[in-house]
Amino acid sequence: MSVTDHQEPGVRVADHQEPGVPVADHQEPGVPVADREAGPSAPSATAGPGRVLVPYGQGRIRGLDAAELGSHGAAVDGLLALGLPVVPGLTVPAGAAASLCATDTAEAAVELVEQLSGRRMGDPVRPLLIRLSASAPTEVAGLPPDLPCLGLSPARADDLTAVIGRADALYEVWAGTVRMIAEYALDVPAAVLDDALLDTPEPRERVELLLSLAAEHGSRPFPDDPAQQLALAARALLNRWDSPRARRSRRAQKLPAELAVALHVQALRIGPADHSGYGTAVSRDPESGRFSPRGAFFPGVRRSAPPPHTGEPLERLAGGTALLEHSLLTLERHLRTPVTVDFEVRDDEISLLAAAPQPRPPLRAAVCLAADLARDGALGHEEAVRRISPAQVQELLHPQLRLTGGEELLVRGLPASPGAATGAVVLSSERALELAADGTRVVLVAAETNPADVPGMLASAAVLTATGGIASHAAVVARGAGKPAVCGAEGLRVDRAAGTVRFGERVLREGDPVSLDGRTGAVYAGTLSVSVAGPPPELTTLLEWADDVRRLGVRVNADTAAEVDTALALGAEGVGLCRTEHQFLGARLPLIRRVLLAADPSARDEALVALERAQHEDFRALLTALGNRPVTVRLLDAPLHEFLPAPGEALDAAEEQRAAALREANPMLGLRGVRLALLHERLYPAQAEALFTAWADVSATGVRPQLEVMIPLVSLPEELAAAAAYVRGAADAVAARTGVEVPYRLGTMIETPRAALLAGELAEHAEFFSFGTNDLTQLTYGFSRDDVERQVLASYRERGFLTASPFARLDPRGVGALIALATERAREVRPGIKLGVCGEHGGDPESIAFCDGLGLDYVSCSAHRVPVARMAAAHSALREPGENSGSTR
Amino acid sequence: MQSAAVGLPDASDDPLTEAVVDLVLRGMWRGRPESEHRPLVDAGLAMAKGPVVLPTERAKATVAQTLRVPAGSEQEQRITAAYEAFLPVNRQIRDVCTAWQCRPDGAPNDHSDDVYDAGVRESLEDVHEAIQPVLRRLEQVLAGSGRYLTALEDALDRFDDGASEWLASPLCDSYHTVWMRLHQELLLVLGISRAEDAAREEELVTRSRG
Repeated sequence: MSVTDHQEPGVRVADHQEPGVPVADHQEPGVPVADREAGPSAPSATAGPGRVLVPYGQGRIRGLDAAELGSHGAAVDGLLALGLPVVPGLTVPAGAAASLCATDTAEAAVELVEQLSGRRMGDPVRPLLIRLSASAPTEVAGLPPDLPCLGLSPARADDLTAVIGRADALYEVWAGTVRMIAEYALDVPAAVLDDALLDTPEPRERVELLLSLAAEHGSRPFPDDPAQQLALAARALLNRWDSPRARRSRRAQKLPAELAVALHVQALRIGPADHSGYGTAVSRDPESGRFSPRGAFFPGVRRSAPPPHTGEPLERLAGGTALLEHSLLTLERHLRTPVTVDFEVRDDEISLLAAAPQPRPPLRAAVCLAADLARDGALGHEEAVRRISPAQVQELLHPQLRLTGGEELLVRGLPASPGAATGAVVLSSERALELAADGTRVVLVAAETNPADVPGMLASAAVLTATGGIASHAAVVARGAGKPAVCGAEGLRVDRAAGTVRFGERVLREGDPVSLDGRTGAVYAGTLSVSVAGPPPELTTLLEWADDVRRLGVRVNADTAAEVDTALALGAEGVGLCRTEHQFLGARLPLIRRVLLAADPSARDEALVALERAQHEDFRALLTALGNRPVTVRLLDAPLHEFLPAPGEALDAAEEQRAAALREANPMLGLRGVRLALLHERLYPAQAEALFTAWADVSATGVRPQLEVMIPLVSLPEELAAAAAYVRGAADAVAARTGVEVPYRLGTMIETPRAALLAGELAEHAEFFSFGTNDLTQLTYGFSRDDVERQVLASYRERGFLTASPFARLDPRGVGALIALATERAREVRPGIKLGVCGEHGGDPESIAFCDGLGLDYVSCSAHRVPVARMAAAHSALREPGENSGSTR
Repeated sequence: MQSAAVGLPDASDDPLTEAVVDLVLRGMWRGRPESEHRPLVDAGLAMAKGPVVLPTERAKATVAQTLRVPAGSEQEQRITAAYEAFLPVNRQIRDVCTAWQCRPDGAPNDHSDDVYDAGVRESLEDVHEAIQPVLRRLEQVLAGSGRYLTALEDALDRFDDGASEWLASPLCDSYHTVWMRLHQELLLVLGISRAEDAAREEELVTRSRG
C-alpha cells in the first residue's frame, strides 16, 4: 500500500509547535479543554494540590518538555497534536513527582482522571480504575514496573468481575500491584512476600494473602481508598526507582544517578472482555516490510506484559482496524520511521496508550519505508540512501539455501537460530564428534535436548530438534554457539537405536544429507547449495539511487561466466579481477601441470596449445557474459606448489624428479606471478593469445568488452617491461592471424611494497594499476595471513595493538600510505592512469571510504559484497561535503 | 538397569560417583586432565572424543539411578514443590537468553543498543530474584543444591563485569549452562522425562497467566 493517499501535510507541519491545535476532540465528549481548565469543579490551576497535575496534551502549552513530562508525557502530547485518539490521563512532572505521595495531591489526581474519562471510581456499571506508570526524559530501561490497577478493594472486586465477565486476569494484576506496594511503600520484607507467594499459586488467594501480610508486617494496612492507594503507589514507584537494582541499571546505561522520572496517572476504563481489551501493533509487516499493521489484541484487563500466545490477530477487533491504520500511517509520516503503538479498546473503540518509533525495526520495514517516503517526495533520494547502512545491506543479503522448486521439504519447524547449512544427519553427540573430526559437516538431529547434546551441537554445522520453541535450551545454545537451528519440528521422530529419523512417512538414516534454513525453519532432504540472497525489490531501488550518488566504481572479482552473471545481477559494473589460475584448479589441473613438468620443449609446446585452447573457451564465455563492460584479466599468478602433484603422485619417476626440483621452501614468495612467466616464456603469450582470440570471436557478435590485461607480482619495472612485450607480441600475432586489432590496456598489480614505491616508473609501462591489497598487506606487515590469523591477530586485538584484522579492514597508516604514495607517484607520470583495488578490502565499507577518499576509480570485490560496496561508496560520497556522519536514524 | 550399577560402590560420596554425576549433569567435559577422566573411561562410564569427554549410556543410567529420590517419599514431594516453582522461571530464563541473543524481530542482537541490553539485564534480575526463594527451599531438601545459587551468582558477577558470554554461552559455566545443569538434576532426582517436563512447564506457565 502506498502512503500517498493518506498524506496530510497539515499534520506533519503541525508537529509539536502549534499551540493552536485543538486537543479536546479526543477526550470524552462533553469535557472540552476550556471547561476542564476553568470549570468550577476542576482543580484549581493556579494553587493547591492540582497545580502539579498536567492533563495529557497540555504539557507544551504549559511550557513543559520531555525533561519534565517524561518521554511518555511528551509522546502523548505529540499524539494529541496529531489529532490521534489517546486514553485519558495526566502527568505529574518530574520535578514534582514526589508530591503525588501526598494524599491531597493524589485525591486531586483521582478527581481529575474521573473528569477526563467521564467516569467515577467505584461506579459499578461503568467502572474506572487507575494505572500509574513512570517515564524518564528519554527511553530507558530499568523503570519501575507499571502499577496497573489502583482503586480496587475486596468489597468492589465482584462488581468489576461481573462487568468484565471473567476474574482471572484481574486478580493476577491486582496481586502484582499489591505485592509491589507492600514491598516498596509498606516495607514488608521481600523474603516474607516471596516465601508466602511460593505456597500460594492462585491469584485470588494471593491477593488475600498479600493484604493480610501488609496488615501484619507492613508499616500500615493496605488502604481501600483509591487516593490513598495512589499516594502509596507513587511512593512505591519512586522507592523502586531509588533501589540498588535501578541504580545499577542507570549506571549500565550511563544515565545520571539522580535522574528524575515523571509519573503518569491513566484512566483504566473497565468494560466487558468481549468489547474491551488492549493490544500492540507495528506499522509494517516484518517479512515484506510493506505497510500493513501487525500485532495482537488481548481481550480483558490490561496487564504489564501481555502473556504470550494469548493474543488475537488485529483482524478480530470487532470495531475494525481503520482508526488503528490511520494512526499508524499518521505517525509514520510524522516520525519517518516504522512505528509501534499500544492501544486500548473500550466498547470496540480504539484509543492509544503509547506510540513510539519501533525500536530497531525489521530491516525490510526500514528499507521499504525509506523507498515509500522517497517515492512520495517526503524524502530526497539521497536522504533515503543515507538511511540504509552498508552493514544493513549485508544483513539483508544473508546466506540462504538456493531453492529451485524441486526440493523435497521434509519438515518445517520454528526458525530458532539464523543461518543456512547442510550436512549429514547425526543422532548423537558421539557420532557428531566422530564425523566432525574427519571434517564431515553434520547436522545434529534430536528429539529433545539434554546437556549431553551440547558437545554434539558444538561439533555440528546446524541443529534440528523435534520439541522446544525458539526459547528452548537447544535454541539458546545454538545461538550461543552461532549455529543455525530449527526447533520444534513437529512430526519428527528420532530412533537412535535404529539410527533413523522419521519425517512423517519419510525415513532418513544417520549419514543422509539434509539442508536447513534457520531463518525460515525449513528442512530439506539432500545437499542444497547455500548462497547469498538477491536484494528485495525496494533495496534494488535504493541501490539504484545509491549508484546515482556514488563516484567510485564497483566491480567484481569473478573467474567464470556464471560468476559474472551473478555479479551483474547484483549491480557490478565490470570485472575488476579475473584470476586465470582459478580456471586451472580442478579438472583442468593436468593441463597446467603438463606445461610446468614437460620433459622437453616440444612436449611443452604441445601442452601450451592445449592450455591455450581451454582458456580460449573460458574467455569466450566470460567475455560474452560481460557484454561491453570492462574486465581486468590477470595473467597466471599462483604459487607453484598449487599446480604440482603431491610427492609420489607424478606420472613417472622422471616427472617425479622434475616436480621435486620445482618444489620450494616458501612458495608464496617463490616462483610465482611474473617471475614464472619470465622463466616459462611461452606461458603469458599463450594466455594472452587465447584472450585476444576470444575477444576477436566475441566482437564478431557485436559485443566489445573493454579488455585490461594485468601482470601480477611485479617488483621491478624491468619485469613489467618484459611481460608487456609478451602481451604486445601476442596481440600482434592475433592481429596477423585474424585481422582483428584487439583494443586493450596493459597494467600491473601493485602488491609488493617495492612496486608501490616505484609506482612512477611502473606507470611508464602501465595504463592502469590494480592494488592487490591482500598480498600488499601480507608483504607490508611481513604477515603470512593464515599463520597470523591463527596465532597472532586475536592476541594483538586483545592487547589493543589492532582494532580489526588488517586483512578485513585496510590499514590506512601503513598499507594505505603505500597506496596513497603509489597513487600520487603514478599520476605524476600518467595523470589519467586508471586505479582500482581488488582485494577483499574492496567489499569493506571503511576500506571503500578510504579508497574513495584517495580518488581511486573503482573497487572490486566478491559478488555477494557488490551491493554492500555500492551502498558504502554512496555513503562515502554523501559524507564528503563536511558532514561528520552519514548514519541512519 | 540392574547391571548398570554393578561395579559402582554404593556410597554416593565416592569420588568416582561424584565424577560421573558431574559428567552426566554437565553433558561433557572439555580440557580436563586425563587423570580425571581415565578412571571413568576404564569403568565404562565415559568416552573420550578428541578433547571432549562424553558420558556413556551406562553412565547416564547409573546417574539416573543414583540421583533418584525414593518415589512417594516426603523428600520427593518437597522437591516436586520446588521443581514446580522452578518451571515458570525456567521459561523466563530462556526468554531472557533469547532476548539477549536476538532482537524481538529475530535479528541477532549486536549489542549496540544500551537501553535494550539494560532492559534484558532487568529481566535477568527478575529471574534472579524469582529463583532465589526457590533455591533456598530446594537447598533444605536436596543436599548440595546450594552450589547452584553460588554458581549462578558467580556467572552474574562475571556478566556484570562485562564478560557477556557468562549469560548464555555454552562454552563456559554461564548462567544458562548452570541453569541447564540444575534443570537436569531436578529431572533425574524426580525421574521426570523431558516430554513430561515440557508439558508440565506449559501447563504451569499457562495457568499462572490465567
